[in-house]
Amino acid sequence: MIIGIGMSDPFLVGVITLFLLLGLILIGVRVVFAAAIVGLLGLVELRGWGPAAGIVGTIPHAKSSTYALSVLPMFIFIGFLAFHAGMTQQLFDAARKWLGWMPGGLAVATVFATAGFAAVSGASTATAAVFSRVAIPEMLKYGYDRRMAAGVVASAGTLATLIPPSAILVIYAIIVEQSVGKLLLAGFLPGIFSAVVYAGIIVVWAMAKPGSAPSVTGFTWGERMRTLPGISPIILVVIIIMTSIYGGWATPTEAGALGAFVVFVLALIRGTPVKSIKNSLMESAKLTVMIFSLIWGVLVFVRFLGFSGIPGAFTEWIVGLDMAPMTIMICILLGYAVLGMFMDAIGMLLLTLPVVYPAVIALGFDPIWFGIIAVKMAEICLITPPIGLNCFVVNGVRPDIPLGQVFRGVALFFIADVITIAALLMFPEIVTWLPNFDFEAWWSGLWAATS
Amino acid sequence: MAQDIEAEHSLLARLHRGFMPIEDFANLAAAAAIMLLMVLGVLQIVLRTVFNTPITGYIDLVELSMASMAFLGAAYTQRLGAHIRMELLVGRLSGRALWAIEAVGAALAMFIIAVLIYHSFGHFLRAYTLGDTTIDAEFQTWPSKLLVPIAFTIWWVRLALQFVGALRLAIFPDATPIAVVVAKDVAEQAQDEIHEVMGDDGDLQGPEGTS
Repeated sequence: MIIGIGMSDPFLVGVITLFLLLGLILIGVRVVFAAAIVGLLGLVELRGWGPAAGIVGTIPHAKSSTYALSVLPMFIFIGFLAFHAGMTQQLFDAARKWLGWMPGGLAVATVFATAGFAAVSGASTATAAVFSRVAIPEMLKYGYDRRMAAGVVASAGTLATLIPPSAILVIYAIIVEQSVGKLLLAGFLPGIFSAVVYAGIIVVWAMAKPGSAPSVTGFTWGERMRTLPGISPIILVVIIIMTSIYGGWATPTEAGALGAFVVFVLALIRGTPVKSIKNSLMESAKLTVMIFSLIWGVLVFVRFLGFSGIPGAFTEWIVGLDMAPMTIMICILLGYAVLGMFMDAIGMLLLTLPVVYPAVIALGFDPIWFGIIAVKMAEICLITPPIGLNCFVVNGVRPDIPLGQVFRGVALFFIADVITIAALLMFPEIVTWLPNFDFEAWWSGLWAATS
Repeated sequence: MAQDIEAEHSLLARLHRGFMPIEDFANLAAAAAIMLLMVLGVLQIVLRTVFNTPITGYIDLVELSMASMAFLGAAYTQRLGAHIRMELLVGRLSGRALWAIEAVGAALAMFIIAVLIYHSFGHFLRAYTLGDTTIDAEFQTWPSKLLVPIAFTIWWVRLALQFVGALRLAIFPDATPIAVVVAKDVAEQAQDEIHEVMGDDGDLQGPEGTS
């Protein structure tokens, strides 16, 4: 096999370039450059300089100007605008009044307020930052355990990537050529499920240690009802995005645009300064270009990978293994957990999916289900040492809570996440039911039954 | 010798500062494109559902406008060090070793972006000379394709500034960092995230090095 020292053997070139890519990324070359250089060099080796550079030169424009990707800037913009419009405070206030009576009520309220905020935002660390400022002071005021207060904010931030609109799920859908709408829908139930598991574990913990997470009572129904107008834009955004995907009255991009417009108008009504709106636009542009660079950089590499035959060989090897598919899946997930400790979730998925995804499909797993599981796995790494960015974010906003305490507080939610992953592995329907639900048939059935 | 460093210092610093408005403007153009995409999407929904007259060539228009959002902010993002990478090693290095590695990284980036500038310009030129149009509404595609070499050229200049900045520090590790992204540990990254969300007008005092 290694006869082709002249480097004509695509497989050998593939293996060498994979190692080169790994080396470049390890020494801190930005992923877009590392992937594009390695892809270019590999193509040059197989096709010669002229054709290779010609192919590579067309990829950035060709791959970026696709309609499906245009949903990303809209979703990103919604998230940044929502922060600047101050929606978090109202969400937390509503959740506190509706759920405060439960054991550990303020922590439970934080979980659901974060889940609600996740419905307008797809960024995990940003969500943790905002709620550190909104929810932690309130919890400390009522004598909550500091570890619990910090842990719940850091962990609940991770819900943002599952509950639509989620940028990372859109990217997954495009890389593996699945329906964006289906993936967005698929994240919804697992996101809610994660939130419920978090809430459940808080309630159990609060009942075991009554003093350290008291409930907050004494709100009238009138007070509760009055919180609803404040959170209505978020409900509206959820309705716009979910019904457009189901009913097909708008494409995800159009739904995203309308959602952004709703939040934009609301921001104007609330008197958000023009400077803040400009800032959220500049931040959105920055994040958009970061994601798009990553996408085309990795796609240059993917173009070469296709020629090298590596994904096929890897798939063949995986399928030939004498192990149950579920065992292999768990090994892949553990691999992601380790990788995620050192790398950004989007970068990690983009780099590994071209090789891992075909193998996962060949093993007979559902592509949508795998996307949700992989993203959830990557998110867990945001709360585990050594990087655990969400924990650092909480500690950064509240320097009075030492990092060690944040990580200890998160441990409880790590257990909750393991339960969630196990449940998703055992009951894939949690993921696949909603995207495959035939809404039209159900609706016309309902119609027929009433008339 | 010390004066030489001083002179280079000021030249690099002036180039660094002088180039910032161009990057900011390009990113602002990308931001405006995002705003327009939003307005266009809302208009399309209203015109289609209420007046039953969808915008002609809406999808083509969106696809062509994607280039502005996908590329124009690249240099701005580079200056702020926001293109992702693995900070495991660079976060631990310091002094000469760190700057040498940063210089190598910038040089590699300059190489690939130079190749892409040349060949994406070729991509544009073909579209221009052949009069390539979109399939549906028959819009000219060359303006959109031209954005790639333009944005990449701005990006390349920023990379070159960072390369010189890193090289200078690799030679004189004790000099004041100019025109480089100072590698951050996780705690500092967390501070950036917070700053990003909580706003402030601190954008320009961010992680882009001091000058």
